[in-house]
Amino acid sequence: MARTAPGEGPARTLALHPARAGVARAYAPVLVIAILLAGVPLAVGDNRFYMTLAINGLTFAAYAVAFNLLFGATNQLFLCLGALAGVSAYGSSILGNEFGWPLALTIPIGVLAAAGLGGLFSWVAVRRRLDVIFIGIVTLAFTLMFTNMLQGFSALTGGETGLRIDAGEGTFLRSSVAFYALMVVVVCGFLTVYRLLERSHHGWAFRALTDDQLAAELAGVDVARYRITAGVIAGAMLGLTGALYAAHEGFVSPRTFDFGDVDVRTLVMLAFGGIGTMTGPVVGAAAVTVIDLFLRPLGQLRLLVYGVLLIGLFLGFRRGLVPAVTGAVSRLVAGRARAG
Amino acid sequence: MIAILLDGLAFGLQLSMLAVGLTLIYGLGGVLNLAHGQFAVAGGIVGALLIGRGAGVAVGIVAALGVAALLAAIVDVSLMRPVYRLTGERRVLLSLLVTLGIAFVIEGYLFANHAAVSFNLSVPGPVVRILGVGMRRNALVAAAIAIVTLGVLIVFLRTTRLGRAIRSIIQDEDGARLVGIDPGRVRSLVFVLSGLLAGLFAVAEAFNSSVGPDRARLFTILALIVTVVGGLGSVSGALVAGLLLGVTYVTAQFLVGSFLTYVILLLAAVVIILVRPSGLLGRAH
Amino acid sequence: MLEVRALDVAHGDTQVVHGVDLDVAAGEAVAIIGSNGAGKTTTLKAICGWLPARAGTVRFDGRTVTGTPTQTLKRAGMAYVPAERHLFPTMSVTENLQLGAYPAKPARAQRDVVFELFPRLADRGTQLAGTMSGGEQQMLAVGRALMSRPRLLMLDEPTTGLAPILAEEAYRALARLREDGEITVVVAEQQVPLVFGFADRAYVLEDGRVQLEGPCDALADDPAVRRAYLGIDR
Repeated sequence: MARTAPGEGPARTLALHPARAGVARAYAPVLVIAILLAGVPLAVGDNRFYMTLAINGLTFAAYAVAFNLLFGATNQLFLCLGALAGVSAYGSSILGNEFGWPLALTIPIGVLAAAGLGGLFSWVAVRRRLDVIFIGIVTLAFTLMFTNMLQGFSALTGGETGLRIDAGEGTFLRSSVAFYALMVVVVCGFLTVYRLLERSHHGWAFRALTDDQLAAELAGVDVARYRITAGVIAGAMLGLTGALYAAHEGFVSPRTFDFGDVDVRTLVMLAFGGIGTMTGPVVGAAAVTVIDLFLRPLGQLRLLVYGVLLIGLFLGFRRGLVPAVTGAVSRLVAGRARAG
Repeated sequence: MIAILLDGLAFGLQLSMLAVGLTLIYGLGGVLNLAHGQFAVAGGIVGALLIGRGAGVAVGIVAALGVAALLAAIVDVSLMRPVYRLTGERRVLLSLLVTLGIAFVIEGYLFANHAAVSFNLSVPGPVVRILGVGMRRNALVAAAIAIVTLGVLIVFLRTTRLGRAIRSIIQDEDGARLVGIDPGRVRSLVFVLSGLLAGLFAVAEAFNSSVGPDRARLFTILALIVTVVGGLGSVSGALVAGLLLGVTYVTAQFLVGSFLTYVILLLAAVVIILVRPSGLLGRAH
Repeated sequence: MLEVRALDVAHGDTQVVHGVDLDVAAGEAVAIIGSNGAGKTTTLKAICGWLPARAGTVRFDGRTVTGTPTQTLKRAGMAYVPAERHLFPTMSVTENLQLGAYPAKPARAQRDVVFELFPRLADRGTQLAGTMSGGEQQMLAVGRALMSRPRLLMLDEPTTGLAPILAEEAYRALARLREDGEITVVVAEQQVPLVFGFADRAYVLEDGRVQLEGPCDALADDPAVRRAYLGIDR
């Protein structure tokens, strides 16, 4: 019953005790990405506009890696990425503003809250055997609850106008180059975690989970545990990203974590870069950030372009645009080689 | 107390009207349309633009209905075709993603071009007293539209041959084919019907408050939640859930502030979904 | 009326039916017999457009209908009743019958024919199909198929799960149906003695191939058939 692709089963078992060469190959992409990302400030220099753009891109890369862990690896369609990041960002900011606690304390609290919520959603979904659609709807309801609560508790959150954040003032977090460097570390850290999970024996589960839950269960994989693990870790990733970004900006507003601006954009990025691939989220985030640059003059029509991208990508390239293109290119090259 | 109940039922009827279209398409095609509210708003905006250019109210209303239905028809014959080729959960998932894209296309266009337009209709006149409670005329008109729409829909589904065919596909698509029903054809008809229902909701809501681009997303989410709470594919479930959530909403509005009302509504919905994933009247799968 | 030539049908990569030929003349009752997994159901499903045929042709009323969807064939006069019945469980008996006539208006006369055939259905008009016993559901499934006055009725294992008395009753009803009208019947059946009392001719299917064919009386004398299907001459 268990559907393992030929050769996949043994290969996965080997991955438990990987050879050195395997480790190098597995983590090399992370290193390559780190080096490429580190090069960005050198290329754009001290241009504020481009640094802001780059930081935004990195933030979304981090969201996308977390979302990939949920949707790509364990088939959980969380439509509350912005809300989870927002819970952490608002939570840590409010604690800092109200009680004067330092970021070193408030950010971990925010991260824990987001991780707890992420884990809770996964736990509930697993316990109640909700399928991918129901997870989507429950988390979407949470997103709406979150935005309404921002309005409802406007004394704390500043409502529509947003909230100024005192903590972090004058620290490296507010410097764009330093914060950029921090975010490179964060994104590469997330990618490493993703690969670690993929290569641990969880990884076997991840692969199986997206294909066929029943088959995974029959093969003795504890589906529930892996889903919840993914929920907690992704929640933490989203929370950390949101809280750091807020501390950097010194300001949060409902727009920062808006469903359309965060969730849909992340979905487009993931569809672009390739769902369930390690580097896909980063490639997608970079691509969409650049595309955004050209879309900027369009104003609200950007939403329309996202919509078109979403439709086109999901109908046309189920496995992601980048994998499809690279696949086509390598097939072409292989064909040429054979012909020549 | 009666005032809350009446208000709640009136709002609930509108929620039901919004949700039945969604639940019917899901029941027939296994498709969850996340652009449902956007169809309604697009229709409303066209109606408002026409009325703004001096067209009569009746023309505006007909245009609103027509545009919503037409959008649904276009989506059904174009973007939904590849979605229908999949089956089961894959189909629902792809439909979610594609219709989310459609929702953003419509919203983006409306925000860019008609952000400030809103569809408002009203009947002048004093407050009407029902059971000793003063009700706004506009709210009554909205409730009447909902009651008539839902009534006609139920009679249509219960007594006509096409209505029975629709219910039969929801129950057993293979059985429907065995008796000579072409599920694809009926599905397309129902997609258009759901667009029409979205348009009717827009008209009712235009009496009740107003229909602008900023409300599309809320409409979609409300429709989705009522549909899921009632049980995906269950028309009577959508009716019951709409009324229940409508009364919940108005009660919460009476007890707490306006923004937190939605929080309570959503919490109620989430609790029901978690307690009964198949919905109030849905069949367990 | 029905002419099947060199029919190949596959489930995924596994071919289940190999080059089956069938001929059914108007007014005939033909049985398809064979053990479990012999390909009886698959053959019927491919004829009525429920499953795609990999190769071969199906002609109905002289027209080639290979691959025509079930719903279209039903409207053209070929009704199929699968073993799983596919009734509408939360609709009443009346509504199930009404739907049987789709897209035409349900004719009272035809409903009377069904009620005469299965009197049990007559007094259960408002009962929900899903709450009926297996035998009653089978009657309703056949009744529903008859509502459109089909010229060809194809039944798959109509007696599965029925008590022996009910199974005999079912075939008596079908025999009455043939006396009254010009209906053609094809029935796949495992209970060979039962169906031999009803049908004119039979095809014996084994491993997806036609092994034998002929009038039921002749087949009943065939030693191989007697051994395998009639449980005599051990």
